[in-house]
Amino acid sequence: MSAVDAIVAQGLAKRYGRVDALHDLSLRVAPGECVGFLGPNGAGKSTAVKLLLGLVRPTRGTATLFGEPIGDRHTRRAAGYLPELFRYPDWLSAREVLAFHARLIRLGNAGRAIGAVLDEVGLGARGDERVGTYSKGMQQRLGIAVALLGEPRIVFLDEPTSALDPVGRGEVRALLARLRERGTTVFLNSHLLGEVERVCDRVCVLDRGRVVAEGSLDGLLGAARGVRVRLDDGWHDYDVAAEAIPDLIARLVAEGARIHAVEPRTATLEERFLALVRPG
Amino acid sequence: MTVLLFAALTLRELMRRRLAAAVGFVTLAIVAFTAWGFHRLTVATVGGVTLPEPALRATAAGIVILLAFLFSFVLAIGAALIGAPALGESLANGEILAVLARPIRRAELLAGRWLGTLVALVLFAAVAGGAELLVVRAITGYVPPHPLGALAYLAGAAAVVTTAAIALATRLPVIAAGAVAALLFGLAWIGGIVETIGLALNNDRLADAGTLVALAFPSDALWRGALYDLQPAVFSALAATMSPSAAAGGVNPFSAAAPPPAALLAWTAGWVLVVFGAALASFRTRDL
Repeated sequence: MSAVDAIVAQGLAKRYGRVDALHDLSLRVAPGECVGFLGPNGAGKSTAVKLLLGLVRPTRGTATLFGEPIGDRHTRRAAGYLPELFRYPDWLSAREVLAFHARLIRLGNAGRAIGAVLDEVGLGARGDERVGTYSKGMQQRLGIAVALLGEPRIVFLDEPTSALDPVGRGEVRALLARLRERGTTVFLNSHLLGEVERVCDRVCVLDRGRVVAEGSLDGLLGAARGVRVRLDDGWHDYDVAAEAIPDLIARLVAEGARIHAVEPRTATLEERFLALVRPG
Repeated sequence: MTVLLFAALTLRELMRRRLAAAVGFVTLAIVAFTAWGFHRLTVATVGGVTLPEPALRATAAGIVILLAFLFSFVLAIGAALIGAPALGESLANGEILAVLARPIRRAELLAGRWLGTLVALVLFAAVAGGAELLVVRAITGYVPPHPLGALAYLAGAAAVVTTAAIALATRLPVIAAGAVAALLFGLAWIGGIVETIGLALNNDRLADAGTLVALAFPSDALWRGALYDLQPAVFSALAATMSPSAAAGGVNPFSAAAPPPAALLAWTAGWVLVVFGAALASFRTRDL
């Protein structure tokens, strides 16, 4: 076990009564990595995050965040968290919510940090309004701001775009890219495959509490299997090795085909995901 | 200090959500209404003459005890209704998740919520109860023997109820925790009556059952303490002569022959500590 790993989980499991919410999660995440946790509803994604943050006690297994055991309050100093069911006191303003969290983490120069995170999530102009007047999307943005306050070394985002419109989703993707540039480790729970595909280095797929696939996106999706070529009459798939692609194109041109586009044929994350989590 | 942070948040919430303003307004209305009632008492005539001062004060004392009895119920129900959501609401709606993901102890959150609720109840007891007693004094001239002691006893009973409500809210839904705490207060009051009847009739089983309830939920002993501190000395003496077991409490729930024994007060303090400890243990081991 390396003390510098952002997350090391070994055989982490959670059982509620007779239901295995999470079964034998073993995982290693390097600092600065962006890891996507994928899975259908009830797969155990949120349970995994709650376990890592000490909000839920494991039935079995151990885990560390930056070398510190989960469940220890000091361990949580490194973490920021946006819960899936984000909710903040509706009688406070966004700035007051953040000020409260700043005091919980004993953040120095809190006013400036609060202004910075409000700007980062696009709430800079409305930070003094009460949370109760916010739309759901704005409340989710506030939740992201709370998670980012104090520049934590690791950020757990549980479905961070569930209440956002397409513009907001794009902004969150840009935000995740900025976090990666800063070296912040990101643990992203999502069932929005496109989102994970665009921002994550690695993916872990959960189904009914079990890890069914884990690895880099390239490794998970596999190498290109031939090409798709768009001719006058539409797309055609050609199952050829990579080195044979130039010859294929030359042959098609020689045969008089008019080629409009050529693209590698890889499985999409959605295809791979459905193959992994579908029963049978 | 994180505990104080949560206590301040609890008080701020009560202010911002207009609970303090609403309760303040209703209290003001009640105090004004009773002031009018006491004034009518001073000008009321029997056979063409107003009540002589001793009779006026004795009547005022009786009314004060009745008002204190109603106030103790209001305070207890308030303690249940404020205590349970102070913790339970954030558990139910998920607000607590982002908070407890911070490097804080769960005990700090629980203690802060408890402290904030308790401060609110003590302030309410002091302001509302104090205002009523001042009004009575100004209009009728009657001053109970130990007004501050009485208010402290009433606040103590509220502390018992709110501790129970918060402990129950660590596991039960808010409405259930609040309702059960309020019902336990009512049960303790009934237990006190059962004990009194048992003593009056020399029925050990009844008396023991009442004592058991009083020990299990010790709010009634505090009501007795408040009662003793509010009633004029002559009432206490009368209660003592009428009671076959004066030291134990008197013959009816509206008079007390003696203050609660020190051992019972110590038991009550210990009870609060134990229930608070149980709440901590329950909350610490709860999955969120």
